[in-house]
Amino acid sequence: MRKSFPVEDLARDERFVHVALADRINDPRNAQAADSGSSGRRGAGRLTPERPDAPDAARALMHGIFVGEIQALEGAGRTCWDFEVGSGNGEGIPEVPFELKLDMARQCWDEARHCEISIKLSGHMGTDLGEFSENTFLYEAACNPDPVLRLTGVNRALEGLAIDVFNTMREFGEIAGDPVLEFCEDWMLADEVTHVKMGSDWLRKLTADDKPRQERALEFQRVVDKLFSLGGFRGEEDDSPVRLARRFRELAGFKDDEMDTLAQIAKEAREEMEAIAEANRPAIAH
Amino acid sequence: MPVEIRPETFSLVHFDANEIRAIVEKLVVLIGLPAAASVTIEVDESTPLAHAVVTSTDPIVIAVESGAFEDPKVVRHLNAIAATDVLGKLLLSVKDRLDPAFGEAPADADLTLPEVAAWETYCVGRLGRLGHRVQRQRRLYQFRNRHGFTDAADAAFDALWTADGLTWADISAISNQATA
Repeated sequence: MRKSFPVEDLARDERFVHVALADRINDPRNAQAADSGSSGRRGAGRLTPERPDAPDAARALMHGIFVGEIQALEGAGRTCWDFEVGSGNGEGIPEVPFELKLDMARQCWDEARHCEISIKLSGHMGTDLGEFSENTFLYEAACNPDPVLRLTGVNRALEGLAIDVFNTMREFGEIAGDPVLEFCEDWMLADEVTHVKMGSDWLRKLTADDKPRQERALEFQRVVDKLFSLGGFRGEEDDSPVRLARRFRELAGFKDDEMDTLAQIAKEAREEMEAIAEANRPAIAH
Repeated sequence: MPVEIRPETFSLVHFDANEIRAIVEKLVVLIGLPAAASVTIEVDESTPLAHAVVTSTDPIVIAVESGAFEDPKVVRHLNAIAATDVLGKLLLSVKDRLDPAFGEAPADADLTLPEVAAWETYCVGRLGRLGHRVQRQRRLYQFRNRHGFTDAADAAFDALWTADGLTWADISAISNQATA
């Protein structure tokens, strides 16, 4: 079986359609994020049941979670296979400690369960599998040839995002009085905290004597974090649809200064999106 | 029937005004709106959001954000099923408002979220019986979000989903009972 499986070859049936993240980011209508336009609305706003479109917004987000779970399973599975057992100190061919592979095997078990939960939740919310497009950035981050960067990008950045999303959805279910959603999100959230902590622990352990590698990994995490702040989708602004879940991130091994940095990255991502919107404004005006 | 689509040419999304016009013309006949009814669809293509609202019933004017017609799998492209779903639901609500027997419903802006969900359930249920593909479970989830995840809410949903000839007082009463 080959190592480092390319994203283009992921197994998907005809229900699933891939849309590149760039297509979303470069959508000229994102000018709405900065310019209230004719409707007078700045953006979709925080995801709470009070939003008129809340049920459909929650369905779309849940579908994004579902395809993310598939890719997380695929990524953790690849990490079990792609690297030889060794010290993991970065010398020679990529190697990882056997215990890291065990962690990834445990994560596969969790992600497989999350896929099944997500499928059931999609049915509960009235969503067809494949109803919304899939972007494959999570798996792409899981293709990094350095296992430390891979775990930092996936487990700390993207699973960290999952903590924020699951916490938002758990609160959504609680406020809406939906016991099924609240219960499922709470259980998955607990697993995500474990996954993020795995990433934090392995990052520190494998780079304890290799600060340049640690810095490369953290820089990779910053890039992934910025991309997945999606122009303010996740952040600490009042109208960010998904809020930074500081308490759960703390449980997952994030330090206060790391969360402050993440909040700043999200703010920068939002400002950059607004700058793009500003640049596109003449096109919309005509 | 005069049907106008604004704008006639789209620059930020890949929508075809003629395709939207054909959907409206088909729906007007299917739903049974007056043949002489004038319908204008104003599409705000500057936003990917998906709000849609009736701004006038005579003439009929519907304002739509482009996300409401968008294919969830293909960015900035029209999805005929989504457009039919949104327009069909709104045109059925217009038909209700134009029917004196329906009674006086509050203005759209004054409807509560449970009332909106109840009326939409009634409209989409009828749209499904007219032959359009509808997502019953999606609508049930919306209804439950506004009326509670209870057996009483589910029974109220079924009553609205399968009904014809309801008045605003009927819809309002079913909605209120479900949340009581």
